[in-house]
Amino acid sequence: MSIMEYNGGAVLAMVGKNCVAIASDLRFGVQAQTLSTNFSKVFPISSKCFLGLSGLATDILTLHQKLVFKNNLYKLREEREMSPRVFANMVASTLYEKRFGPFFSEPVIAGLEGPENKPYITAMDLLGAPVDAHDFVMSGTCTPAMYGMCETLYRPNLEPDDLFETISQCLLAAFDRDAITGWGAVVHILTPTGVISRKLKGRQD
Amino acid sequence: MNSELKLASVSDIKETPLSHRDFSPYTNNGGTTIAVAGKDFCIIGADTRMSDGYSINSRKVTKLCKLTDKCVLASSGMQADILQLQKTLKASLQMFEHNNGKQMSTPAIAQFLANQLYYRRFFPYYSFNVLGGIDEFGNGCCWSYDAVGSHERVRYTSSGTGQQLIQPLLDNQVGKTNQNVEKTLLSAQEAEDVVKDALTSAGERDIYTGDYADICRIDTTGIYFSEFELKFD
Repeated sequence: MSIMEYNGGAVLAMVGKNCVAIASDLRFGVQAQTLSTNFSKVFPISSKCFLGLSGLATDILTLHQKLVFKNNLYKLREEREMSPRVFANMVASTLYEKRFGPFFSEPVIAGLEGPENKPYITAMDLLGAPVDAHDFVMSGTCTPAMYGMCETLYRPNLEPDDLFETISQCLLAAFDRDAITGWGAVVHILTPTGVISRKLKGRQD
Repeated sequence: MNSELKLASVSDIKETPLSHRDFSPYTNNGGTTIAVAGKDFCIIGADTRMSDGYSINSRKVTKLCKLTDKCVLASSGMQADILQLQKTLKASLQMFEHNNGKQMSTPAIAQFLANQLYYRRFFPYYSFNVLGGIDEFGNGCCWSYDAVGSHERVRYTSSGTGQQLIQPLLDNQVGKTNQNVEKTLLSAQEAEDVVKDALTSAGERDIYTGDYADICRIDTTGIYFSEFELKFD
């Protein structure tokens, strides 16, 4: 039994044409027992930056609270929003602070960077080591399944609606092969004009 | 006595016996296999990389084994066990042909393979098999196995180190799950394209999959082999 597999769950982010998508499943459970089917693991930080967290649920909640707190202090002091790249750096530092007693959560950050709204995604391991990808990033209990799906279905420069279809198919197929992930999904598409959020109903098991 | 014989007493001798407790008879030589069965054909594909840990032993070792004119076996796992299993299977199938004057049908081979694997229930063949072919009526069929012979006839399957990457892709593209489209069977060309894409994607993200891939199409007219390149990294 691994701590990262105690609650289950998965997060996926993908880059499109002037947009990014970030999604997660909705299951909250304790090993084999499902307790909630409404537990989204993606949280808004600003209108141009979303944070997804997988792993141990208590650490997801705590990390989210800490990061929102730090973000709010930044906004009060600097009187401006944190860009996604800067926010990612802050997440990495927050995780590394606990190098020898870490939070058991692996974040995924998706956002639109700067005045040109350039898509930005990144993911980290539980110690804060980031990986910069230009296509897709994911974390959770079914990462091999998501890698297989994304590697095949992803194409660069997808429009927001096509990106939504692609990420949804990748998610649902991957979740269906993992027993502790699923029970629906939530997908957020970030565009320069706004955020479109949709809930998916997949296999409810 | 001027020189005393200094013999060590028994209690002084401390010898630690050689310990082979960390010897494992198994190793995983990696690789991925896929099969998709259609109405009157079956496509089987496998990569050709043979690895040992982080090293590559060979870039071109086939995982496919032609058992009869209508049946091909693809195995991933430990190469030594795979070779032995394929050798004994081929020999048994030859004996069947001599005794009965005809080749074993694909469903019969499927059951036979399961029995052979279960004979070794307490020291298994480290092989993850996928059997594909056409049955006596010309219908495409494929079976997936675990190491000790548990098997199931399915429309599509995969096994090996790339299984976790590819299986959901097959669900989505062949089984057409989570889509509001008609769940029709694929044509031979469509199935072959899905298998190629799947092996290519597995080759990208799985370190044990790559180099070359063999694809085999089995239908009533015969067995057709083809090969294509994957990434060498």
